Amino acid sequence: MRAFVALALVLGLLVPAAPVRAQDAEALRQEMERMRKQFEAMQEQYKKTMDSMAERLERVEARPQPAAAAPPVAVQPAPAAPPATDLTAQQSPGSAPSPLDLIRPRQPFALYERRGAGQLLFDMGVTGDFVGNLTQHNVQKNQGGSFPGLENLFYLREGEVSFFGQIDPYARAEVRIEAGQDQRGGNLNVSVAEANISLTALPYGTQLKMGEMRNRFGLLNEIHSHDRPFIDDPNVLVQFFGAEGLREAGFEATWVPPLPFFIELLGGVFNGQNDVAFGRDQISNPLVTGRVRTFFDLDEWGAIQLGSSVAAGQTPQQKSSTILGFDAKYKYTPPGWQRAVFTLLGEYLLSFRDVVVTDPEGIDTTRYRGSQGFYIGGELRPFNHGELSKWLVGFRYDRTQYPAASGTEWAVGPFLSYYPSEFLRFRLGYKQTTRSQCCSYLDFQDNGGSAKQVSEYFLQATFIMGAHPAHPF
Amino acid sequence: MRRLLVIALATTAAWGALGAQSVPAADKLRIVTSTTDLKALTEVVTGNLAEVDSMARASQNPHDLEVRPSLMVKVRRADAMIVNGLELDLWADVVAQGANNANVIPGAPGRIDASSGILVLEVPKTHVDRSMGDIHPVGNPHYTLDPGMAPAVTQNILEGLARIAPQHRAAFERNRQQFLARIDEAMGRWNKMLAPYKGSPVVVNHALWVYFLTRFGLVQVGTVEERPGIPATANHIVKLVNLMKEDHVKTIIAEPWSDFKLVERIAQEAGAQAAILAATVGSVKGTDTFLEAADFNVKALAQMLK
Repeated sequence: MRAFVALALVLGLLVPAAPVRAQDAEALRQEMERMRKQFEAMQEQYKKTMDSMAERLERVEARPQPAAAAPPVAVQPAPAAPPATDLTAQQSPGSAPSPLDLIRPRQPFALYERRGAGQLLFDMGVTGDFVGNLTQHNVQKNQGGSFPGLENLFYLREGEVSFFGQIDPYARAEVRIEAGQDQRGGNLNVSVAEANISLTALPYGTQLKMGEMRNRFGLLNEIHSHDRPFIDDPNVLVQFFGAEGLREAGFEATWVPPLPFFIELLGGVFNGQNDVAFGRDQISNPLVTGRVRTFFDLDEWGAIQLGSSVAAGQTPQQKSSTILGFDAKYKYTPPGWQRAVFTLLGEYLLSFRDVVVTDPEGIDTTRYRGSQGFYIGGELRPFNHGELSKWLVGFRYDRTQYPAASGTEWAVGPFLSYYPSEFLRFRLGYKQTTRSQCCSYLDFQDNGGSAKQVSEYFLQATFIMGAHPAHPF
Repeated sequence: MRRLLVIALATTAAWGALGAQSVPAADKLRIVTSTTDLKALTEVVTGNLAEVDSMARASQNPHDLEVRPSLMVKVRRADAMIVNGLELDLWADVVAQGANNANVIPGAPGRIDASSGILVLEVPKTHVDRSMGDIHPVGNPHYTLDPGMAPAVTQNILEGLARIAPQHRAAFERNRQQFLARIDEAMGRWNKMLAPYKGSPVVVNHALWVYFLTRFGLVQVGTVEERPGIPATANHIVKLVNLMKEDHVKTIIAEPWSDFKLVERIAQEAGAQAAILAATVGSVKGTDTFLEAADFNVKALAQMLK
């Protein structure tokens, strides 16, 4: 029964369809004619476009290439972009680009393709820091310059390869391997400058760092030489911590409380490997460090960071040694400026230590010795844009006592910095140092204290390749 | 040795005490974004369910932000941190590290990358190095300037926020759909406004606008910067002016932090017009929302191309 109904329906549809088919054929012929005309018009349009393209190409090829080394720019349509059809009909007159111009990959770019298994899971960077200095012959002879033993030399102060990144969701690590020349003769000394782990997923605003690290004491100690705002290190830091600064193996914990303003509290326990201030080198008699840092954003008046630090341990002679530090850094960045126009920073250090003194009869006695020192420095970038914005002028004033011997030295020095890009920097500087007495503590070959007055000219060239994390304020 | 033990005990005690005093979760989510564009897009998703703050100010170039501790204060108590990704805001990692907030470190549920899965333009296909300037090796990161990217970006934001506040997913989705309807409506208007100028050549100060220009069928034919991040030399300016004259370029687009005097001088020499567009939400007066910023940019561009 159902089959009969279906047959009747089919027949019912076919019978009236017969005359309609004749009408459709006529309509189809008209449609085809219309399409043929459209196709001819499109063909004509396409020919015009191609002619225009060829003409444009000839023009471009005949023209000298603008900025031959400039990076290429690709323009490809975004995924949800409206289809770029029928653009020629809507182009503005003149030599406006054709649709093919829009999609032509003029430069070596392609759509993003996420890298696969070969993707490196951490960052790498390479830096190089070359320093040259000129000074008097007697200063070289006494090794009394800012780079002792390397006076009147151009040398690699620090070549660094750094690796850093996440270990897993809970921790990150950084390893920095340094090579540098620390004595005349050209031999490079290679060392692991830092190798540490930071546990970043701890609760309550805490973080734990362990391993070999540059201690967060004051402003400059944690910063590597190539990133410091001065060519040479401030005298007070060299006198109190030695040329290498405070670099220790141990643990450092920080806490940032959930307050409306910034405050960071830090405590650390280290072996005590510093050969000038803390050389006990035993975690059972540790070097203990602490730091408090706060920051005030003064909006249009700039920003200021204040900190105080402490390091307490034992000297290589197993005598107690404590160093207190206070630091401040101010930056002024006018509205619309990308970088600070003016930076002022300084540190004031106090050293309290017991020193072994040998009297004329050859008997060693322990005496308490307190000393202090500071530096203040600044940098000015007078221009915001253009070539002149790459130039900065700066200065530093140093004054320090010797922590383990009597005597004072002070120094002043201007410098000029030029940044062709943020990855390359050149500096020229001058430094005049005056010492009240030239002390055996400095290991000078005492020949009449001829390193009392030191004039030095510096040249520094620094580069960065690859990844380099942004530096804190 | 005794001193070491005392230190260890004191540290442990202090740590425990801190836990006991930990602040209870607030009613609203605390979200920090790296840029004001992402702040605006996050706000349309969260509505009044969250307090959203941006680390970069509208007037700041997000490429190179100074890592101030005041940014760490913002991030310290955040439930989520939304970043642009594509290496635009690498500084946000340093902020997150300094903030000691486990919610927002890489890999944490509260770390949201708004660029996930978007189609990235200007990805180097061949070898690149720094001789090309401060080039972005994973592609152009300025996708938020294209209003057509709003669906993808808000989807990423929604998915990220739903990880930390799944109870609000429906509300986020509702807010998002309402916003996308407004974007759709505006997109029709913007397309119509710029349709007559499809294919027109445009010069930009920095290669910031490629997503925006491509969306509306405009073509970037040159940059004022000789290479990304490297200021123009006199030689480059001469070549650029010649190029603009030959290609009848009528327009130079600049960012609020660019050297606009130089841009204006080049425009004048080439017989073109220059204008500062809203490179980030809020960077130009009257562009305090994502829609206002896009609307401002489209209108300003259409005006210049007339």
